[in-house]
Amino acid sequence: MNQIFTVTSLMNIAAFGLIIIGLLAIFTQRNIFKLIIGLNLADVGVNIFLVNAGYIDGGTAPIFTDGIRSAQIMTDPVPQALVLTAIVIGFGITALALGLTIRLFEKYHTLDVKEMRGLKW
Amino acid sequence: MRHVVGIVLIAAFIFYVLSLVSGLFIGPDPEAVGPVGRQVLEQSTREAGAVNTVTSVVVFYRGFDTLGEVTVLFLSALGIAVFFRAGGESANRAGTSGPAGNTEECGAPGFILRTGARILYPFFFLFGIYIIVHGHLSPGGGFPGGVIIATGFFVAILTGDRFHLPEGLLTVLEGFAGLSFIGLGLAGLFSPAGSFLANILPLGSFGTIFSAGILPLLYAVVGVKVAAELSGAVGRIYLDPEPVEEQ
Amino acid sequence: MVGPVLSPILLILVPLSAAFLIVLLSSVLKQHGPVLAFLALAAEVVMAISIYPAAAAAPIEVVIAGVRAPVGINLIADPLSMLMVLVVVISALLVSLYSFSYIRDEQKSRYSALFLLLVTGAVGMLLTGDIFNLFVFFEILCISSYILVAYHRGGLGLEASIKYLILGSVGSLFILISIGMIYGALGTLNMAHIGANIDLLPEGTRLAAAAFFLVGLGVEAAVFPLNSWLPDAHASAPSSISAVLSGFVIEVALIVMIRVAGSVFQITQVFPVLMVVGVITLLIGEFAANRQPTLKRMLAYSSIGQIGLILFALSVGTPDASSGALLQVINHAAAKSVLFLVAGYYIMRTGSGRIEDYAGLGRKMPVASFLFVLAFLSLIGVPPLLGFFSKFSIITSALSAGTVPSLFMAGLVLVGTVVEVVYFIRVMQVLYSSRQQSVSIESGIPAGALVSILLFSLAFAAGAAILTPLTQAAGSAAAVLF
Repeated sequence: MNQIFTVTSLMNIAAFGLIIIGLLAIFTQRNIFKLIIGLNLADVGVNIFLVNAGYIDGGTAPIFTDGIRSAQIMTDPVPQALVLTAIVIGFGITALALGLTIRLFEKYHTLDVKEMRGLKW
Repeated sequence: MRHVVGIVLIAAFIFYVLSLVSGLFIGPDPEAVGPVGRQVLEQSTREAGAVNTVTSVVVFYRGFDTLGEVTVLFLSALGIAVFFRAGGESANRAGTSGPAGNTEECGAPGFILRTGARILYPFFFLFGIYIIVHGHLSPGGGFPGGVIIATGFFVAILTGDRFHLPEGLLTVLEGFAGLSFIGLGLAGLFSPAGSFLANILPLGSFGTIFSAGILPLLYAVVGVKVAAELSGAVGRIYLDPEPVEEQ
Repeated sequence: MVGPVLSPILLILVPLSAAFLIVLLSSVLKQHGPVLAFLALAAEVVMAISIYPAAAAAPIEVVIAGVRAPVGINLIADPLSMLMVLVVVISALLVSLYSFSYIRDEQKSRYSALFLLLVTGAVGMLLTGDIFNLFVFFEILCISSYILVAYHRGGLGLEASIKYLILGSVGSLFILISIGMIYGALGTLNMAHIGANIDLLPEGTRLAAAAFFLVGLGVEAAVFPLNSWLPDAHASAPSSISAVLSGFVIEVALIVMIRVAGSVFQITQVFPVLMVVGVITLLIGEFAANRQPTLKRMLAYSSIGQIGLILFALSVGTPDASSGALLQVINHAAAKSVLFLVAGYYIMRTGSGRIEDYAGLGRKMPVASFLFVLAFLSLIGVPPLLGFFSKFSIITSALSAGTVPSLFMAGLVLVGTVVEVVYFIRVMQVLYSSRQQSVSIESGIPAGALVSILLFSLAFAAGAAILTPLTQAAGSAAAVLF
């Protein structure tokens, strides 16, 4: 039996909760805008999960300041760098999706994927 | 169908929580910094010379990822330019103040917003530049700094003043910043170190502005690129020409 | 061994800097962006050809930022990745030649920049030795495809693009989850390093991480049941882009997926499952293709079928079958590109996407239609063409694997081929029917586009003549896989 009430486990549960909510929105909603919101929720969940991968209990930020010169108590900097990349990529995709949505709305005057003409969703 | 998906997803979540309790997915020693992270923490002051280890990772150890990352931003700005036909017919409308519907819904921007924005505008730039040049010393760097500079543009858009998007300048900055990143990297390739993005400048004294070799330069380039692309992307959507009916 | 000038990293940097340069110089270059893109891709082909022999002799490792893996990022140019890079860059060069006459609107400089970034993403995915770097290049590949699918901004294109974007992004999220699990447990991102330490992971984590990764890449590789976006995206994209998306993008994703499964996660025990998935993908693709009234949708579904075949061959797990699969990748890249590129001009000249409107085109556009037929025959696997040898070696090696399921599935692959023949005949009947075309066709295909189609056809038509070196290359590439 592992300890579940550690910061890492609780954060992981929160992260997966967000991912599940996001995926639920993506698979059950019909409004493109809500699909994009779902995507962003899941994205935030994944980012929390990623940054959590390098967290150690009681660790400090990995910055060498006057007070802190020892690397022993620092959290892992690599996942933080990965999350920075992931956030930027998520932003890029969101911006593009919103641009597409504006164009689609101008074409069909609806955001409901079921009412759009061509494709099966 | 929707119910099935919902039930499966919620079941997956419950399974995950249970697996945390039973330790199914726990690898070796989850509460310790992994081998790569440990090595980065120990070597970064010597190899990259930045006080902020995250910056060392973003710009030095994983600088190649960052090049890819600014490429993704470049792509989405390019994509929005394609969808909104910026630089084409829209150029003649660039002086107008955005979609007509906007002001009717929200009301015209008030005196306080307009005056405040004008006063704050230079400070956005100043603060953004500050964040960018201190990227290797404190939390921050090219990405947040670039976003802050772009925020200056967004505030200018919000005021509804006759806003002119410097389309040509932004495009030049986007391309130029990307090429400079590659150029700085190539300098490393042809230097004695012989590898892309190698540190070709002296590390300087630890903890000062002029330290960490090429890291601040690369981060400055990233900052310029992020600022140009964000302002470009949002500005192009905002200054969208009349919806074009095609086909 | 190789000087710094021919470092494989240039294969990534050249198209990337050309894309930046096109945007930087957009006011000077005006409409001449495509020329710059063509030159960059030509340089790319020359570099890839000159790097290939060295990489085939011994894998080349490129260290980035002077920090050795696993702390830094590295690139690995081995026979497999370089063979695929060659397929990618040669196809891209020929398609960009075709695009000169095919893409004629005022945004073609932006089109070229996007196209170069697509190539950057594909080449980067193949060369990288770091799992997160793989994700970044995967995103570059995906995002440029999302944009290019909607390039014409027609309703269908926009709709297909957003559908592709949402499904693709869910796939990317899954890859990130997998990366998070691996990093959390092993603390490393380098593929070779993960592969060496994978035994430290408990079986549950390993399978879960592998499943997330494979599902994520599987969306882009269009593996059943994750492929509902493909027919829409490939059918609504401009034809030059459909050729690229079908010709190498999904194959790159598939090869990388099998490679990660085999050498990073080392889950060879799930390969029988992938084999079944491959055959299902094949059958669904071919049967759906048979029911399509529009040519490009038919070709798109046929690509799903081909992906199923390649997945099946790769997951048989023997070097022979994998080398057959790689031959099939080459064959499909050439043949499907010809089909889409000719279809582009069929659509442009008749103004219709439906097969029934192409009556008599076989006589109006004789050369192009002849190559179209030849490409179709090579996909089916008719003897003198390359497609015969690839399919033959896939089926014989599946048979020689000898287990009852693989015999049964080899039989199902033949069923897929029969379906291919059926819809091939349907298209031929229309193309060479004596019914008169209602729209008059003023012109055929411009010379540049025709040259590009001809050169593509050369690959599968003359493939049999250079079969020995091709098989050798595919064999040494397949040896990397297992």
